[in-house]
Amino acid sequence: MESRQPVPRKASDDEKAMNTLQHSELLQLLVDSVKDYAIIMLDPRGNVISWSPTAERLKGWRHDEIIGQHFSRFYPAEDIEQGKTEMELRVATQEGRFEDEGWRVRKDGSRFWANVVITPLRDRDGRLRGFGKVTRDLTDRRNAEEKIKRQAQEIVEMAAVPVVQVWEGIVLVPLIGTLDSQRTEQLMERLLNRVTETSSPVALVDITGVPAIDTQTAQHLIEAIAAVRLLGSEVVLTGVRPSIAQTLVHLGIDLTNVTTRSSLSTGLRRALEMLELRIVSKGASSA
Amino acid sequence: MGEFAISVIKVRDTLLVTVPAEPDDSTVSALQERVLSAMERHDPKRVVLDISAVETLDSFFARTVSETARMVTLMGGRTIIVGMRPAVAITATQIGVTLGGIETALTVERALD
Repeated sequence: MESRQPVPRKASDDEKAMNTLQHSELLQLLVDSVKDYAIIMLDPRGNVISWSPTAERLKGWRHDEIIGQHFSRFYPAEDIEQGKTEMELRVATQEGRFEDEGWRVRKDGSRFWANVVITPLRDRDGRLRGFGKVTRDLTDRRNAEEKIKRQAQEIVEMAAVPVVQVWEGIVLVPLIGTLDSQRTEQLMERLLNRVTETSSPVALVDITGVPAIDTQTAQHLIEAIAAVRLLGSEVVLTGVRPSIAQTLVHLGIDLTNVTTRSSLSTGLRRALEMLELRIVSKGASSA
Repeated sequence: MGEFAISVIKVRDTLLVTVPAEPDDSTVSALQERVLSAMERHDPKRVVLDISAVETLDSFFARTVSETARMVTLMGGRTIIVGMRPAVAITATQIGVTLGGIETALTVERALD
């Protein structure tokens, strides 16, 4: 009976030791198995002291190639020059955490967009033993975001200056909203390209939707019209409302060399005349 | 390049002049000489200047072309510039080149209409 007493005690020590071992093994398994995060450890100076299969998959270095190397290997040259790696360790040490999103470099030199969290590892006495570094590859997300941004920009540009072919030989630019230099530049480029592509001798520029015209806007329009002429095409400026006509005269803007009309429909009729075309009603042609 | 880069062909009452992609100053000067001497020899009704190959236009080229056009008018012809590229037209407008009152056309075919 006596001899039995200490047994549970001893067993419990073993169990504890066993648990601790299992615990650290399990932790290692976790680090090695997590697919989405590359978890590695650095010594206090920033040299790699532990590596994981996910880190290898993400960054390309094998365990034996990277252990002992400084973690600046993962950074683009310009970041290293700016002292980014030292800054990251300093911030992590001072604030207990550092997080960043940016370009990182693989072994083969290719770049990926990463989210990085660096955490200082301290022992019970508060001494810095190293850093834990968790890296996540966000390249796909970033590419998707870039694509959406690009598409949105394209839509905005298209909506800003649409150029449509309304008849064989006639293109139409309905301008809506205020015309600034940037929009006029886009307008010119699109209009000139469409005129060339469609080989259209007449371009209708409709300013019905332009709220007001000032000297600068008028100057932009005159430039666009001059450029269209250089290509060998003519512009008919339509949508000259009474208020616009008054402004143009009061500002002393000379549009005498430009064909202008008050409405788009009369402008279109003028364009058809220029192409020696006429729209005839069925009744009139059979009569 | 010089004068050999330019082609000047007389077709009936039209003088068809083709300008190379990047005309240097000597080519541009030769252009005026060749056009005016062809005017004297053939007395065409019009000069069609095809610049569809031209990718960059400088002020010297623009000035020479507009001068040549005025000279052609004085000699009894008319000048039509054909095929200016959009990018060239934008640059031209930005540097203030309007080519005066010279006629323009989208294609050689339209210039001959």
